[in-house]
Amino acid sequence: MNCEVSLILEHKYEQLQQMSDDPLNQVSQVFEKSLQYVKRFSRYKNPDAVRQVREILSRYQLAEFELCVLGNLCPETVEEAIAMVPSIKNRGRALDDEAIEKMLNDLSLIKRFE
Amino acid sequence: MFLKVQLPWNVIISAENLDVKGLMLQRSIIIRLLDDFACKKATKDLGYFLAVTTLESIGEGKVRQHSGDVLFPVVFSGITFKLFRGEILDGVVHKVLKHGVFLRCGPVENIYLSNLKMGDYKYVPGENPVFLNDKLSKIGKDVTVRFMVIGTKWLEVERDFQALVSLEGDFLGPVS
Repeated sequence: MNCEVSLILEHKYEQLQQMSDDPLNQVSQVFEKSLQYVKRFSRYKNPDAVRQVREILSRYQLAEFELCVLGNLCPETVEEAIAMVPSIKNRGRALDDEAIEKMLNDLSLIKRFE
Repeated sequence: MFLKVQLPWNVIISAENLDVKGLMLQRSIIIRLLDDFACKKATKDLGYFLAVTTLESIGEGKVRQHSGDVLFPVVFSGITFKLFRGEILDGVVHKVLKHGVFLRCGPVENIYLSNLKMGDYKYVPGENPVFLNDKLSKIGKDVTVRFMVIGTKWLEVERDFQALVSLEGDFLGPVS
């Protein structure tokens, strides 16, 4: 998920900062652009919040990519969630609308208390 | 999407870096790995290489016959970024042209959204050209847009990915 990658890349960047005076010169374009991207598009900044998000999403038998898309895009309604990740409604899974709604509510609670 | 990958790699240490104590050897392997990794940029299967997270194992070194370098097979974990068809992502517009816009998402710069895939957005020329729709929603430079990837392409020479995206779907388009 973007927020997890953000924590990792920021940590790497800090390590580089400690080792040299001009860290921006040391990192590749790829790293710099990715760092900018994940910092901008992470909904959850606090490491505990990030852990909680993963924990909540892991309770719902989601495939890894489904978990990531939901954690990255943070849909607000059940309809939006199904539009973002249509596969969560497939194959007779235990994921009915009520479960999805509960999941989204739990996620928004974390955002509120971050 | 960001991927966590585990990769085998061959790190080559030249002879002049070898005549120090054992501990320094591991450090030179790690430094060499990070350098190689940063130079590699991207591969077709794994996408753009971002960072090394852990070094899982370092194998036994083999001396190469002609150069005197030592080759260490290592296994490490790292993070990469790759675009997948059907994926929905957020990106930022960095160029507006008459027939579409270019978006940036993570390390990928060449993401093209054609005006044909923008629904009812129309081109509005001017000093700061934008695409506008009936509800006065704007797609212009530095606007964040949620899109779906409809195709990707790997360019071997430039070692870059290109992608074609669309706004045809619910909840896609500019996000505030």
